[in-house]
Amino acid sequence: MKLSKDFLTTYILPLLGIFAVLLIWTALSGGIREEKTASGFNKKIKTGLIQDLPSPYQTWVKTKKYIVEPFAKREELDQGILRFTWYSLIVVAKGYFIALLVGTPIGFMLGLSKVFTRMFDPIIQILRPVSPLAWMPLGVVLFMGAGKNANDLGALFTIAVCSMWPTVLNTAVGVRAVPQDYLNVAKVLKLSKWKTLWKVLVPATLPYMFTGYRLSLGIAWLVIVAVEMLTGRIGIGNFLWNEYNNGLYTSIILSILTIGFVGWALDRLMSLLESRFKSI
Amino acid sequence: MSFIEIKDAAKGFGSPNNRTEVLKDINLTVEEGEFVVIVGYSGSGKSTLINLISGLVQPDTGSATIEGKVITGPGPDRGLVFQNYSLLPWLTVTENIALAVDEVFKDWSKDKRAAHVAKYIAMVKLTPAANKLPKELSGGMRQRVSVARTLAMEPKVLLMDEPLSALDALTRAQLQDEIADIWIKNKTTVIWITNDPDEAILVADRVIPLLPTSPATLGESISVNIPRPRDRKLINHEPEFKRLRAHLITTLLDSKGKNKVKSSRKLSLPDILPEDLNNLHNMEFINRRGPKRRTDNQREEVEVLA
Repeated sequence: MKLSKDFLTTYILPLLGIFAVLLIWTALSGGIREEKTASGFNKKIKTGLIQDLPSPYQTWVKTKKYIVEPFAKREELDQGILRFTWYSLIVVAKGYFIALLVGTPIGFMLGLSKVFTRMFDPIIQILRPVSPLAWMPLGVVLFMGAGKNANDLGALFTIAVCSMWPTVLNTAVGVRAVPQDYLNVAKVLKLSKWKTLWKVLVPATLPYMFTGYRLSLGIAWLVIVAVEMLTGRIGIGNFLWNEYNNGLYTSIILSILTIGFVGWALDRLMSLLESRFKSI
Repeated sequence: MSFIEIKDAAKGFGSPNNRTEVLKDINLTVEEGEFVVIVGYSGSGKSTLINLISGLVQPDTGSATIEGKVITGPGPDRGLVFQNYSLLPWLTVTENIALAVDEVFKDWSKDKRAAHVAKYIAMVKLTPAANKLPKELSGGMRQRVSVARTLAMEPKVLLMDEPLSALDALTRAQLQDEIADIWIKNKTTVIWITNDPDEAILVADRVIPLLPTSPATLGESISVNIPRPRDRKLINHEPEFKRLRAHLITTLLDSKGKNKVKSSRKLSLPDILPEDLNNLHNMEFINRRGPKRRTDNQREEVEVLA
């Protein structure tokens, strides 16, 4: 039987890649060997190129309980990996929606008004590159009055502020790129400002907006890990940090892989949505 | 007082030191119910001329009036059919037309507006395609939607900016006949712009050449006294048609090259720098689009002793 070329490129090559990486990982990882000393005691000797890096097999054995029961809740800090992920996703969703609700109108104003752009573009350019780690303390301070909720609100604030920028900038670019023809139609039909916005500007900008939304979601997912490490609220980032402090390096690897998978899945989801609007 | 009047209008574009005059000494009167066609070369300012009437541009000097009122902006009394159809791609045929109807006839009931939309879709023979998106239609069908959208607004004057020039010859001929038929029924005033002398004589009551002088100006108008409905197969043999056609083409050809002012200007060859993608979001991107040239970056500084 001859394998089709499609099958090779879509399935075999990626699998080969994964296998190669696992091989290199195994080669680099360290292990523990026991040796009898002269006095008859067992002595543990670390081996391998990177002594503390667990091998893929060890990682699987030690983190199995988080994976096979992904939604289990044994203790506060001992839960299934997807349960941790779920906590994080809820916070991300909330912060992300705030970002969209705030970012989209700002983007529209930037795209429509030169005065507005002149006034606020410099500030946006300065705030945009600020790291989530820098926003977090400010977020908590801002919501100090909320008492024990300060951490949660601060986390939402940080996610919203950090993930807003791609939405803002892409929406602005999209509004500026609306073809003059469509605007002329609106003018000739004498559409009201409100109707021009909803019937012409918003639909014409949608593809750009969704590109922004997709990039924003990616950033929101990046930020959550940092936020959880700082605040200690339960979630995948917090799990990673705790296990690091406990010296359980296998769990770190599991967390990284989970974060990667979820980020990838979110991006796929958004690009599906995006392509729906691009087809117009 | 005429229905539409343009008096001594002139229009130019660009900044004061890099200005192109497009139109000068434009005088045009159109009576109610008239079918006027303006013929001119591509790029000679035809669209600018019709936009003076649609209100999308204002004249620099002179005036444009409709029923004695100065035109200051677009309005539903002047329906404009765009050269590139300009349908909104996210709306179906019905929705595109309804967008116009809902805006112009706000005080009508919902049912009445829907019936009105359906009537005009039927008029351009698109009822089977009523719920299709523009991307599912051919060029000719799209332009029919655009015509229906404009007619549905029941404008006092129909402005057509090269409505058929993006279509193939056969579709074009068919639509010329259809629009002429609709006009015979409705008797709306039409100002039609084209670059095709045959098309002009075939559909018009009166043809006005836009002479390609620089800046362009209108020539003497030519009345077309061929009875309607005109048959495009027979009209080719009609002596009157041949005469008018010869006259029109001679007028347009002869004026080319006349009235030209000699001027010299230093031309620089295209010298375009690649776009700096890092600058995509800075002020420069907002304020000046288009390519950047190396000459823009050159600067000479000379120090002299005083």
